[in-house]
Formats: sequence, structure tokens, C-alpha cells
Amino acid sequence: MKILVAIKQVPERDAQIHIAADGKWIEEDDLAYTINEPDAYALEEALQLKEKIGGEVIALCAGPERVTSTLRDALAKGADRAIHIEADDLAERDTLGIAELLAAAVKAESPDLILTGLQSDDLGLGQTGVVLAELLGIPHATIIMQVEKTDTGLRVKRELEDGWFQHVDMPLPALLTIQSGGNKLRYATLMGIKKAKTKETSTVAADAVTSTALELARIYLPEKQKQTTMITGTPDQIAAQLVEKLKFEVRVI
Amino acid sequence: MVAVHSASSSPAALPGTFLIPAFAEPAHFSVLEMGLLTACTLISGGLFFWRFGPILRTILQSKKDQDFSLHPLGRRMWEVFWEVLCQAKVIEQRPAPGIAHAFVFWGFLAFALVSLNHFASGLRLGFLPPESVVGRFYFDFAAVWAVLVAASIASLFVRRFIIRPIWLGRKVSYESGFIAFLIFLLMVTYLGAFFATEDSPAIKALWWTHTLALLVFLPLIPHTKHLHLVLSPLTVFLKRDGFSKIPPLSGDEDFGLVAGKDVTQLVALQTYSCVECGRCTEHCPAATTGKVLNPKEIILGMRSYLNVFGAASDSPLLVETAANGASGSHLSMEAAFQCTTCGSCEFQCPVGIQHLPIIVGLRRGATNTGAWEDTYGTKLFLALEKNGNALGLSASERDKFVAKQGFPIFDGTQEYCLWLGCMGGYDPKGREIIADFARVMDFLGTTFGVLKKEKCTGDSARRLGNDLVFQTLAEHGLKALETAKVQKIVAICPHCVRTISNDWREYGIAPEIEHHSEFMARHKDRLPQDNWKSGSIVYHDPCYLGRYRGVYDEPRTIVEQNGFLVEAPRNHERSFCCGAGGGLAFLGEESGERVSHVRAKELADTGAQMVGTACPFCNTMFRDALTAVTPHGKAPPQLLDIAQLTARHLPPILPN
Repeated sequence: MKILVAIKQVPERDAQIHIAADGKWIEEDDLAYTINEPDAYALEEALQLKEKIGGEVIALCAGPERVTSTLRDALAKGADRAIHIEADDLAERDTLGIAELLAAAVKAESPDLILTGLQSDDLGLGQTGVVLAELLGIPHATIIMQVEKTDTGLRVKRELEDGWFQHVDMPLPALLTIQSGGNKLRYATLMGIKKAKTKETSTVAADAVTSTALELARIYLPEKQKQTTMITGTPDQIAAQLVEKLKFEVRVI
Repeated sequence: MVAVHSASSSPAALPGTFLIPAFAEPAHFSVLEMGLLTACTLISGGLFFWRFGPILRTILQSKKDQDFSLHPLGRRMWEVFWEVLCQAKVIEQRPAPGIAHAFVFWGFLAFALVSLNHFASGLRLGFLPPESVVGRFYFDFAAVWAVLVAASIASLFVRRFIIRPIWLGRKVSYESGFIAFLIFLLMVTYLGAFFATEDSPAIKALWWTHTLALLVFLPLIPHTKHLHLVLSPLTVFLKRDGFSKIPPLSGDEDFGLVAGKDVTQLVALQTYSCVECGRCTEHCPAATTGKVLNPKEIILGMRSYLNVFGAASDSPLLVETAANGASGSHLSMEAAFQCTTCGSCEFQCPVGIQHLPIIVGLRRGATNTGAWEDTYGTKLFLALEKNGNALGLSASERDKFVAKQGFPIFDGTQEYCLWLGCMGGYDPKGREIIADFARVMDFLGTTFGVLKKEKCTGDSARRLGNDLVFQTLAEHGLKALETAKVQKIVAICPHCVRTISNDWREYGIAPEIEHHSEFMARHKDRLPQDNWKSGSIVYHDPCYLGRYRGVYDEPRTIVEQNGFLVEAPRNHERSFCCGAGGGLAFLGEESGERVSHVRAKELADTGAQMVGTACPFCNTMFRDALTAVTPHGKAPPQLLDIAQLTARHLPPILPN
């Protein structure tokens, strides 16, 4: 099976983010970048499928020169080859524009399965995968936890709300957006890095930006709010309320 | 005619010497006997080489050690003199059997001339006539040794087969018993010749028994532990320079010890030198707490792998152990990853085997190729990759701590760069230690700063065999220190000190680094003294400070300055690991007994009021362990780092 994984490169989770002077995007200099977390799980799923049923895994990423390091990591983890869509103006493109970029590259490969993370850690729109499937005219399923190959296509497990899951049978080719945490990620090995050097990364130029339907007006850091609540009652009640707050408001337990 | 001459010099004829019987040789050897002796010697020698040849070929056909150099020659020669000829290590670490072994060894050396003359005389070529002055002296000299050897080998026999220390293995080695018997026989037949006359049938019988014992012994050497007679002097001479020295990987196809083809000549030589004494096992924190790992079995397993698969094999060295614990002619993956890299085995080994490069080499082979699948290990590597610290916390946590403590950022104007390390930067207890050490530095008026961004040294990745993560972190660290123009570093963690000063050398030269114990010991005269020695403190030697760096006295100086020093039963070079090293602090629950509990109990049982540590990892391990091993209702001894011991006696900071 030919599996294509669409990856996005995002700033590292603990990076110190500063808003750019124009207020439209962040300052990109001196930022450390890494693979978008749900995309790492999409790649892992692709690699595990390949290990089970054979085939080829292609990593695809759009962005400036720096994204090649993320592609190299994907190759080191086991992807067979990589495609880099060279585009320095991602911030100027909306979801449709980016999906169009990806679609052009995907069409040339005509893979059996396209995997991507369900959303990105930076913008978190969760739409690129879905729009890409529409552009390609293939079925898609979102928030996927598990993928299994069947005789006719795929059986996937979708995460619904409140601990419910949905199992869906779908034909191929298809596009799935993968949820984080479904698999255990692998670590990059020295052998993988050495092998990655011999693997091919093809570069394609991006079409110029046409018109965008969506425009980022302003981005800003979350405004800090400090709030003090006094919990009163008997020790039992206080404990119960505290647990409730820690669980559902602070979400630490 | 020989008979005529020697008859005139019979013992009774020499005045003054008749009380001591003289050594006698058979007076005459027939041509038939000479022929028989020649044939037997050829057969014995032939059998020896028939068995030794394949071993020698395996060693020679193994991969060359790319980084090998005979430098420093002086130290190598000294070690052969001290450890082999003087048997210093053998005696020092196990005095009673050590002395017995030394007597057997020295006796063998004394007997070299006697044995040579023995065979020569059988061919009528004897060069040491018993009646000559030199002969008389030498045979008497050898007789003293013969008595010592006989007594020693008999006591070693009793130890091995009657006392049976478990370190020698559960299986009784019959061939060892047989060889002990042969050595005993050699000595008895030699001594017997002092009480027989040269033309008696008894002397012939003694002579031939002695000869045959030697000729039977020779072909037994190559496939028993007695191969160490031949190899170990060479092994001691050739071993890698430096403790736990992990060789650099050579070329694009080297990932560590993956298969037989990766086994280097030094490793092969060392595995064939093993004398199976079990000192490594006796001191191993894994083997003595019920883990699968037994360092002796790693070496013997490597040897049997080489015997079965050869030095060019592609068959993996490590396999996942079967349910019954068997791994065939392979080594157990589980065992390889139970090593705390405490280095006791390598330190103890009397024949020059360097276990750590082998165990770490096996781990490299498994980790660098992705063959090692471990949830905790993967988590650690991803944390190091992403967050740059072993605890998996956000790097901003360190920034916050640095800001809260008001540590200055190193800008080139300060004398020292204070290296926080993962523990000092992220762990609550490690932070207390760093904060206290910073107070000590402030008190001394020593200027210091911390790096703005600091990543893990890669110690745990290095010991777990992840060269990719280690290299990335080492290069990052070297660059950060260079950019900041750091000249001198001081750190509270012996793992950081070792990794920066030693392991990073593969990628560049780091600035000079020292452990805070060394720093404080140097300034001890200016540090406060507890003249009343009010508290008793048992000091625990961290593996990476003691065996790895040879620093034993400096932390003790600090302890003595702040209380009454108590020694644990196992101290200095024989110190017992806390269980955290080799990346094991991050690998989840151990099987069997916890190493930290064993050591904590040993420390608590000294009755000292305080436990003094010099490593934040040891400190972490003992924190829970001391409570766990203290009987209910009693308070565990107080646990303090040497920096905290010192800081307690600093004058309080007055608000101005």
C-alpha cells in the first residue's frame, strides 16, 4: 500500500513565542521547530501499517527550507522518501490554499491512503485534511484512533465524545485524520538517520498565492487571568469541590 | 658415568647439609623413554594448539579496534607488573583466596626453570644439575614454593568444592577440580623427588607422573578457565586506556555490538580471558538483587556466542529472552538493560576485562538499530530529543527556577559556569542542593553564572546506547559553552562531570569541569567547621565520582568538616550502587529487590544520624528508600548532600 503522510512543522511546545511587529503572526527567528504532534502519530500509524502489510510511506511537507529537518526526521523514523513543497509564504495562505498546494503534490503520487494529524498545534483549525480529501474527491474520516486493513478497504476507529467510539468501514483510496495517543511513538535511531541520508527528498515549487477567503486579523497571547476562589464547607465538601475543580477546571487529575 | 659422579655427591657426603634432603633426578633415560617423552610432548602440544588455534583465529579475525593505541606504554607496563606479577588486585580485593592464588602463580613462575630442566633432563639435556651450587639452591627454592603451592591449591580446592561461594557459579566445575588435583600432583611429585634416590624405581615413577601431569594439563588449558594463564597478561597489557571507556563508532555501518561482526579484537580477547572467578557478580548491584543480569554470564555468553557463530556472524548478539529465561547461544536483552553502569565489575576484574564498553556496546547495538523497544526508554529519548532534559519537563521550568533563585546568567565576567544539570535545574531536591551550593559559592566570594539555555549532557542516552541523542546533546552543550566563552565549570552531579569531561571528548573539548566536592575541598579552610562534630554522617560514594573519577577523599573532607564521618561496610572502590545509573533511574520498576533499598539499609544500619551524598541521583534514590527500610515509628536518618551539609553551617544571610 502506498501511504502518504502530510506533515506540518510547528514551533516546539515550550518555545518562547513572541508576536511579530505587525501583530499578524509570530516572530519566526530563533524559534525551534518540530513535527506537529498529531502528525507524528499519523506518521507512526503509517509506519506500523507498512510494517504489517508492506508498501511505501511518503512524507509530505509544505514550508520554507527549515521544514526539511522535520522531513529528515520522518525519513529517519522509517519513511521511504519525502516531498518538500517549497513555500515561504504559508502564513499568507488560508486552509484552502494550503490544501490546494498539498493536493497538487498528492495527485502526482496517487497514493492509496493519505494520513494527516487531526489538527495542528499552532493554528488548530483541524480542516486541512478534510479540505484536501474534498479537493481529491476521496472519502475521509476524522479523529481516528486505529486503522485496520480489510479485504475491501479499511476499518477505522473514530473517537466520539464522552468515551464513545465509532467503527467505520471505508473504501480506498481514502484520507484519515489521526488523533494523538493512539500508538506509541518510536524514537529516531542512529541507524535510521544514517539510512535517511540515502533516501530521496524531492522538492516541488509552490504555485503563487491567488486569492484567500480568510485573513488573520490579529493574533495575541492568551490574556492571563488570576482568580481566587474560596471553597467553604465541611472538610468533606471542600475536598469534593477541590477534586471537582482540579479535575474539570484545572484538569490536572 | 653420570651416575658415578652424582653418587659421590650424595647428600650424606656433604658435611652440614645432610639434614635437608636433596632433590634427585632419575639417573638414566633409555632411548625408548626419550622417544616416548618426545611423542607424548608432541601429542600434548599438538592437542593444545588444536584447541587453542580456533580461539586465536577468532580473536585475530575479529574486527580491529579502530581507536586502539598502545599509549601510555608506561602505565600498561606498570599494570602488568602490579596486577599480574605482583597480583596486587587479586590479593587486595579478596585477600585470603587472593594470597592462595598468588602463591600458585608465583610458584608457577618459580617452576618455569624447573619444568624446562625437567623435560631437558628426560632428553639427557639437563642444564641444572641438582648437585651444582646453583641447582642445589634453585631446587630448594622451588621446593619452598612447591609447599606453598600445594597448600594453596588444596585450600582453594576446599573453597571451591566444600565452602562453595555462590560467585563461582551454581554448577560445580569438575574440570577445575581435576586441574587443582593435577597442580597438587605436580607439587607432590616434585617434593617426593627429595626423598628418593636417583636410581630407585620410585624416582622414575615420580618423574613420569610429574611429566604426565604437565602434559595432561597443557591441552586442558584452551577450553577451560585456565586459558587465563596464557591470555590474561596480554589482556591486562592491552586493555583500553581509561575506566569504562566507550569507543567511538567507526564508519557508517557501526552501530555498536549488534552481531558477531561488530565484536572487536579487544572484546574477543577479553571474553576468552575470563577466569570465571565471579568477582564481577559478587559486586554487581543487579546480580545481587535478583535481576537477570550477571556480568560474568555476559562475558561467558559472548564467548559461547563466538564459539558457536564466529567473529563474522550476522546473527544478533542480543535477543529477547524466552519465557523460561533461555536465550540460546545469544545474550539476553533484558539483562543488558539492567546494568546500572556502576562499574564494580570492571573495577574488580583481575584479568583486565572491561565490562562496561561491552555492556554499553550491546545496548548501543540494540538502541541505535531500534531493536530495543521499551516504553520508558522511548519516553526518555523523546523527552531528551524534545525537551532537552531527562525529566521531560518544559525548558521554561528551568528558566523560572533560575529567575526565582536570582542566579546570574554566565556572561564571561564570572569565574565559574555553574552547570545545573537535569536534577539541579528541574528536580525539587536537586534544586535545593544547587541552591545550597550557590550559597556556599557566594559565601566564598566566588563569582559564577549559569547558562541561559542548558540541555542534558546526554549521560543516560550515552549509557543506554542512544548515540544519536547523545551526539546531538553533546554537540549542543559544547557549542553553548563555547559561545558563552566558559573557562571553568563546576557541577553537583558526578554524571554530568563524567560525561562532559570524558564522553564529550568524542565531539570536542569541553572547558575544565570539576565536581562540587573537589571545589569545596579546595576551599575547606575558608568554609565553616563543626568543631564539635555534633552529628555522625555516613558517606555514600557515588559510582561516577568514586570508581569513575577516583574522587574519594574530597567529599570525605567536607563530611568530616561538618560532623563525624562513618564508613559504610562497602566504601571507596567497593561502594555499592544506588541503582540510578546507566539510565535506570528512568526505566521504571525493577524486578527483584530494589538496589536502592539494599544500599539504604546498609547505610541506615551504620546507625549514623545522617546520610551524606554527593550525587543528586543517589540522593533521589535514597529519599524513598531510607523511609522504606526504616522500621515503622522510627525516623530515618537525615539525607543531605555535601553542599547542604556545608550550607547548614553558613552564617544566615542578613537582610540589608
